[in-house]
Amino acid sequence: MKNPTRNFCGRTRREFLWQTGGGFSAAALTSMLAGDGFLSPGNLSASESAGSINPLMAKPPHFAPKAKSVIFLFMYGGPSHIDTFDYKPTMVGMDGKTVDVPTFGRGGKKTGGRIVEPRWDFAQHGQCGKWVSTLFPNVAKHVDDIAFLHSMTADSPIHGSAMLMMNSGKILSGSPSLGSWATYGLGSVNENLPGYVVMLDPKAGPISGAKNWSSGYMPATYAGTVFRTKGAPILNLDRPKGMSQEVQRALIDSIQQANDRHFAPRQDNSDLESRIASYELAYKMQSAAPEAVDLATEDEKTLSMYGIDREETNDFGTRCLIARRLVDRGVRFVQLYSGGAHNDDNWDAHGDLELNHNRHAGRTDLPIAALLTDLKQRGMLDETLVIWGGEFGRQPTAEYAEGSGRDHNSYGFTMWMAGGGIKGGVSFGTTDELGAAAVENPLHVKNLHATALHQMGLDPNQLSYFYSGLEQKLVGVEHVEPIHQIIA
Amino acid sequence: MFLSGTIGLAADDPIDFQKQVQPILAKKCYACHGPDEAEGGLKFTSREAAFAETDSGGFAIVPGDAESSYLLERITAEDEYERMPPEGDPLTEDEIALIRGWIEQGAAWENHWAFEPLTKPAPPELSHLSGETHPIDAFVLDSLHQAGLQANPAAEKPELLRRVYYDLIGLPPSKSEVDAFVADTSPDAFKNVVEKLLASQHYGERWGRHWLDLVRYAETNSFERDGPKANAWKFRDFVIRSFNEDKPYDQFVREQLAGDELIDVTPETLTATGYYRLGIWDDEPADPLQARFDALDDIILTTGQVFFGLTMNCARCHDHKIDPIPQKDYYSMLSFFEDITPYAERGDATSYNQIDISSDQLKARYADNDRQRLQLEKDIHEIEQIGIAKMSGPDQRATEGNKRDRNRVLRAKLQSNLDSQQWDQYTEYQQALKKNQQELRQLPPREQVMGLAQYRKVDEPTYVLFRGSPHSPSDEVGPAFPTLFESPKPELPSIEPSTDSSSKRRLLLAEWITDPENRLTSRVMANRIWQYHFGRGIVESSNNFGQLGTPPTHPRLLDYLANRFIESGWSVKAMHRLILSSQTYQMSSRGNPESLAADPANSLFWRFDPRRLSAEEIRDSILAANGSLNRDVYGPSVYPELSAEVLAGQSKPGSGWGKSSPSQQNRRSVYIHVKRSLITPMLSAFDFPDPDQTCEARFMTLQPAQALSLLNGDFAAKQAQKLADSVHAADIEDSELVRRVIPAVLSREATDAEIADGVELIESLQTVHGLSEAKADQLYCLSVMNWNEFLFVD
Repeated sequence: MKNPTRNFCGRTRREFLWQTGGGFSAAALTSMLAGDGFLSPGNLSASESAGSINPLMAKPPHFAPKAKSVIFLFMYGGPSHIDTFDYKPTMVGMDGKTVDVPTFGRGGKKTGGRIVEPRWDFAQHGQCGKWVSTLFPNVAKHVDDIAFLHSMTADSPIHGSAMLMMNSGKILSGSPSLGSWATYGLGSVNENLPGYVVMLDPKAGPISGAKNWSSGYMPATYAGTVFRTKGAPILNLDRPKGMSQEVQRALIDSIQQANDRHFAPRQDNSDLESRIASYELAYKMQSAAPEAVDLATEDEKTLSMYGIDREETNDFGTRCLIARRLVDRGVRFVQLYSGGAHNDDNWDAHGDLELNHNRHAGRTDLPIAALLTDLKQRGMLDETLVIWGGEFGRQPTAEYAEGSGRDHNSYGFTMWMAGGGIKGGVSFGTTDELGAAAVENPLHVKNLHATALHQMGLDPNQLSYFYSGLEQKLVGVEHVEPIHQIIA
Repeated sequence: MFLSGTIGLAADDPIDFQKQVQPILAKKCYACHGPDEAEGGLKFTSREAAFAETDSGGFAIVPGDAESSYLLERITAEDEYERMPPEGDPLTEDEIALIRGWIEQGAAWENHWAFEPLTKPAPPELSHLSGETHPIDAFVLDSLHQAGLQANPAAEKPELLRRVYYDLIGLPPSKSEVDAFVADTSPDAFKNVVEKLLASQHYGERWGRHWLDLVRYAETNSFERDGPKANAWKFRDFVIRSFNEDKPYDQFVREQLAGDELIDVTPETLTATGYYRLGIWDDEPADPLQARFDALDDIILTTGQVFFGLTMNCARCHDHKIDPIPQKDYYSMLSFFEDITPYAERGDATSYNQIDISSDQLKARYADNDRQRLQLEKDIHEIEQIGIAKMSGPDQRATEGNKRDRNRVLRAKLQSNLDSQQWDQYTEYQQALKKNQQELRQLPPREQVMGLAQYRKVDEPTYVLFRGSPHSPSDEVGPAFPTLFESPKPELPSIEPSTDSSSKRRLLLAEWITDPENRLTSRVMANRIWQYHFGRGIVESSNNFGQLGTPPTHPRLLDYLANRFIESGWSVKAMHRLILSSQTYQMSSRGNPESLAADPANSLFWRFDPRRLSAEEIRDSILAANGSLNRDVYGPSVYPELSAEVLAGQSKPGSGWGKSSPSQQNRRSVYIHVKRSLITPMLSAFDFPDPDQTCEARFMTLQPAQALSLLNGDFAAKQAQKLADSVHAADIEDSELVRRVIPAVLSREATDAEIADGVELIESLQTVHGLSEAKADQLYCLSVMNWNEFLFVD
């Protein structure tokens, strides 16, 4: 398959076939199924359907990639940057003081308010001497592998539109998400697993649900597949009661027998072949997906490292470990949500900042650190890009007359990246001394997206999809630079 | 030939600039030599500009002399730094040959075909055929003949019947209907079937759904709350009903764009303005002004692409890169829509979008009730204040706070602060208020439809927005049609700006769009009708007839159809009759080596393209096979049961998803509630489109999630059991089961081989795998529902 390159043309027939999942190449199909003894030789001739291609077949990148996969740890609700990784020493002792500072959040635009001093102590860590708060004692041990982006900005401080922006680059729904773009650009190397996996908080999904992992105007092939850690990992993956694997094999064989008869006078129709192949893929997925989430083969040390043996960290630890296993099996893009539903079930600390952030950092700090450790010790961190952050940060001032709750802040916030060719021990960009807004080297969500694509070997300004008369891009029509300063 | 690369280019074939050369220039050169940029003084946007002397003193194109043309030199340069284009792939050999040939042949330069007035082509005379030829066939056979190809023979009758059933009503014929058709050897047999299907109420459900794809129909707003759009389903019914009644297409368009501005405004035409209310809507936008223009952009994008096949949306921030649509045209178009209010405002979900269409009498009764209530509330308040004035300070303060505190104080202390006459009066008023409320509850419900219920006061001009930013207004514009059509400027009615009446601008736009002289409207819709019948349009990019769209494979046929469409009084059903009666429609879908080699994509329509069923057709056919399909038409949307794991993806699991009775859940899929953040998985797995933006043609993917849904899904299992029950599986032999299931699912008799295989499967499921007979029967039924033959139409 040719790279998706910059061009102004409409889809050619060939591209259309590819985009719409016109089918698998006969050669690939034959090799895929030959092992099952399913197709007799000579059943398919390669020349007949050489024009049709598996839409998720691995595709070459634009240039040599640093990262093969991405794990996006989405801190839904918006963690407070000044209480975690953006150290603001001048705020110490200012608690309760009134300051003039423009803010914009759920409560609208304000010109000032009562300072809520960061509630956790900071200390320096690693060779780089990075200041990290006591909310993340374990992640703090990895600062030399992490590039912190302190000057992030987004177009909206409201959950609904901000979630869409962080996931799809636009404040309006209907566009493909970052994971869709990655699988569209690169395909996936493991055909028995989805290329783009999303794992949700057990409580509930985030605001706007499936819109966050939608493929928008692209085919559903590129949409995120929700993976569960308990029960069947994927919707409809469990065979119904009474259908053993052998029974299902017998059924599929019988279906394919009928399909073969139907195919005989229609040998030129590669769609029929593709549908035949899709049953074999589905069959394999039923063993591949449960195997990927089955932690029985992991030793106790690993389980304990991820905090799976503790109630507080069991869920997120399990998901982090599964994320590592999925990436190890060639899944292209994995997104984990820390937090779900509403209010204090996620990082949205409007009321009691301490209660909220202690809870969510407590659930995630150890698992995230373990993930970094594990990836590194397996030599996988170099080729796995880990992204941490929420849809925005939080304000330096209090939201209400009383209490420590902070409103949303999209004028300045922190995200971080590690692995996948990203420099460690780096802090890029700053916010003002209150953390209210980005001042030095302001970054937009688009820069983050551009960096992720770039590390995967895709040119963010070239990767495009023709729709609605335009070459649509994740980063939009204007040229967007990746964040070169954090690229190793 | 336009099939460059597949059918060789003969040296003397005349090269068509529009179809063959212009797309190459647009694709490969326009980025630097197009409407926006003229690097080196060269741009390929018009004959004059392209043939002019460039900055370097040379000529890019010298008609008749390819060797002297710099264009050719640069695109063929060996040196990478010399070769054009500097980025992206170089031109292919075929493309270079086309440009060379075109220059050699004199570099004829015509305007883009779709921007030219409709031509009136007569069907070609076919000297190689005798007898009368259907006009469509004349065009198609002529192009096949020129390519040296043969049209396929007619499809087998059962194939044809299944094809036309799915095509027109989205449901399969029963086996007895197939048998009757096969037995009917009269010349009108097929015509009679077509008439029966066109008269069926299910026709509108199938063809209305095509329109719903185009106008991004959904019943919720997206974003955090993804709240429901009240009465959106009435718009869906309006669409289905319009198709069923064969409403003239021009009227259908006028009703949606200006149903509130017509001379004859009816509840139906008001419902049609729901068109403007279907889009996404953020109830707490970060930038309200930006949100207003985003919503207008959604309307311009949809209107431009759906009604006249132009991507006006590309000119929001700058002049269109390829088509001659200056940015000014975009804002002149926007000016027609200035009176549109946002979908709603936070805290008031209905005032802008719910139109009261109750009878005047009922409206008056509601108004009376309202008046009475307001008077009573005023009287009550007056007496309360008399009492409150006598109360202690803190109590008085409490009555100024929230209602609960006020009522608490009033309950405890009002009577003691009033004299008995006042108190009696007070209780009398309270009783009257209670009665008033009872009356309100007993009034028949008001009837409301979704549409333009209130207007935005248009008391300022429209501005071009610099780089599309609503915060950077620049030049002033007014309502005007895209300049490329050279239409006269519309005459604006003088209307006092008001929130109660429209500005009557949209009617001007609707009339321009539906004018038979409009160069695009009839072509665009005739092309869509063709596309929904044949699987692809004569112009494949059916929402984009601009220069970035795909050129028509049969331009004269398209214009012929467009003319016929207008002449028929814009009757969609007349177009069905015309198309379905052609040999082109009734051809077999089988491949043959010669045609496949020459035209593998079937660009010339030498066969009928086979297709996979749509999401709705699959679900509806499964229900039809076991007899449980509820064939009721119209009405509020229904909610099929969704599993807990699907609902777990929502931030409030289960929120916004109702419950429907089992028989309502078995309604046709077009009636399933379309919730933007929760598209029914069975439908989205089979490529139900994302409803946030217009969908010109659905994807047709074939992926494992579909197989899992039909093999393992609850719906499939349940329907397989019903299928087994419907053929009385428990009471019959295995072979009889097969004999009954295959006709139910596939509308044909089972073959001996299928009976043998089926019996073997059912038996081995019991003997080898130890399943009960009932389970084995159910699984057999499930297996047939998974056959390719069931999911594909020839």
